Amino acid sequence: MLIGKNLSKSYRSKIALDNVSIQVAPGEICGLLGRNGAGKTTLFKILTGLIRADSGEIILQSPRSKSIGAIIERPGLYNYLNAYDNLKIFAGIQGAKADPDSIRDYLLKVGLPTDRKDPVGNFSLGMKQRLGIAIALVNNPGCLILDEPFSGLDPFGVASLIDLILSLAQYEKIAILLSSHLMGELSRCCHSLYIMDNGKIVNSGTTKHLISKYIYSYSILANNIESSEVLKKYQTVFGVNEVKVVCNSGEITGLLNELLSEGVQVTACIPDLTLEQLIKGTL
Amino acid sequence: MMKSLFSAELLKIVKQSKTYYALGAIILIELLILLIAYYQGSTVLDLLLESLKQSFYFEGSLLNGNLIMYIVLNSLWFNVPLILMIITSGFLTDEYKDGTLQSVMLQAVKKKQFILVKYAMAILFTILVITFMMLTTFAFAYAIFGKGDLIVYINTLNFFESGDAFRRICFSFISGAIAMIFYNVTSMTLAILIKDSSKTWLVSALFLVITNLLLKVDFGNASFNNLFFPKLIDTWQQLFVYELDWTRIIGNNFLLILYSLLMVLIGTYIFNKKDIG
Repeated sequence: MLIGKNLSKSYRSKIALDNVSIQVAPGEICGLLGRNGAGKTTLFKILTGLIRADSGEIILQSPRSKSIGAIIERPGLYNYLNAYDNLKIFAGIQGAKADPDSIRDYLLKVGLPTDRKDPVGNFSLGMKQRLGIAIALVNNPGCLILDEPFSGLDPFGVASLIDLILSLAQYEKIAILLSSHLMGELSRCCHSLYIMDNGKIVNSGTTKHLISKYIYSYSILANNIESSEVLKKYQTVFGVNEVKVVCNSGEITGLLNELLSEGVQVTACIPDLTLEQLIKGTL
Repeated sequence: MMKSLFSAELLKIVKQSKTYYALGAIILIELLILLIAYYQGSTVLDLLLESLKQSFYFEGSLLNGNLIMYIVLNSLWFNVPLILMIITSGFLTDEYKDGTLQSVMLQAVKKKQFILVKYAMAILFTILVITFMMLTTFAFAYAIFGKGDLIVYINTLNFFESGDAFRRICFSFISGAIAMIFYNVTSMTLAILIKDSSKTWLVSALFLVITNLLLKVDFGNASFNNLFFPKLIDTWQQLFVYELDWTRIIGNNFLLILYSLLMVLIGTYIFNKKDIG
């Protein structure tokens, strides 16, 4: 369990964090959403002890030998060393097992090949993220903090990283806190969300609750949707391959049923929930 | 914990290409000195010492391994400390730049232990490089130019027999290593303060230049002149004065070690206080 209570941090020019409280339970994946500069990284640095908060309290309840593992901003790796040597260094300095078999296990856990001997400078960003997670997971931490883990990854990389995060929470019961300014990725894997703006938590709740409460439009992909009579009752914007329909979460099931009964072949329905909607929701 | 941190630092140094660039630069300086001495040294020496040769007998050629080693020792004024300061400050500034310092600090490593190991590595690296420089110079210089008496100008001309010259050169390398350690722990402290590698290099080079300039300045106060650190960095040169003043030589080196420890303490205190990132 990771708890941050009433955390505040000010710099000469601005207030970076203003009375922020956050909580993540074991096995829970919690997302922190916010624009660039909202204070997400500052909060993570405080939670991991890299910087000191001006006030507030951090409680780490974990029976494990290491309470927290993290990647802040980007995976900091020795680019001139291979994955094996990177893990050997990071495992060694914290007194974890650094023998070849243990290092092989660390690599396999995050789905990295065990036979690559070239420097990690040659690795793709996705592989570096995985190696960063492997390092963060050394010594079996109770909590994992990932700052913008999807940044720069292609869709395959994102999907694969989401699978890894889900399995770590589900099978290893790690409390996972991750940040992003992209709504889509977080809504796919997080049980709960905190929304940050200008150093404050402006909204929070379970992901399902937030989506149902603040969703105002859906993008629908379907064949022959242009001829639909049902859609005329709604405000719509026709795109190249999709139609954006303004409706709330209570209306979408009825709309889809009506479209299907009209003979429209719906292939996808994507909620258009944006960060701005979540921020404006309580402002 | 300290042992694991030390092993990790050692692995980084061994695997970093910069280490080999530093050693390569040292070899290059030595080879250039050897080449110039080989092709032009005899002519220059003959011109300088023509009148002396008529009055004194010198054992062997004056252009010999001992003289070459003395010339190589003179690279301790600027070339070698500059190379060493760039490399050792990079031990830390690279960690800031690559984000690895943050990764290390996320592994429940104590800041104080981490930075003390960095300082220890900077000192060890300096000793290794100076030892490497000494051994390669011995090998090259004696193999090409052989042994012989040494003539050195410090205030006046000082003559040393071959065996005595060799002994003085060995002690000079030890004293020079202490001066290099002072420069390197200073560059590490500058790296803690500045974080950015190129700015640290610039300030380190500036520190080196200012120290060399202050060495020549008379501050008008005997105690200050004897105790201020720029006045101590040329102690290795005192070993080429005919009448050795061991009290002064040992005292100066001891003071330089104290100055180095002070730099380590200041750097450790600042690093421990500062936030990472």
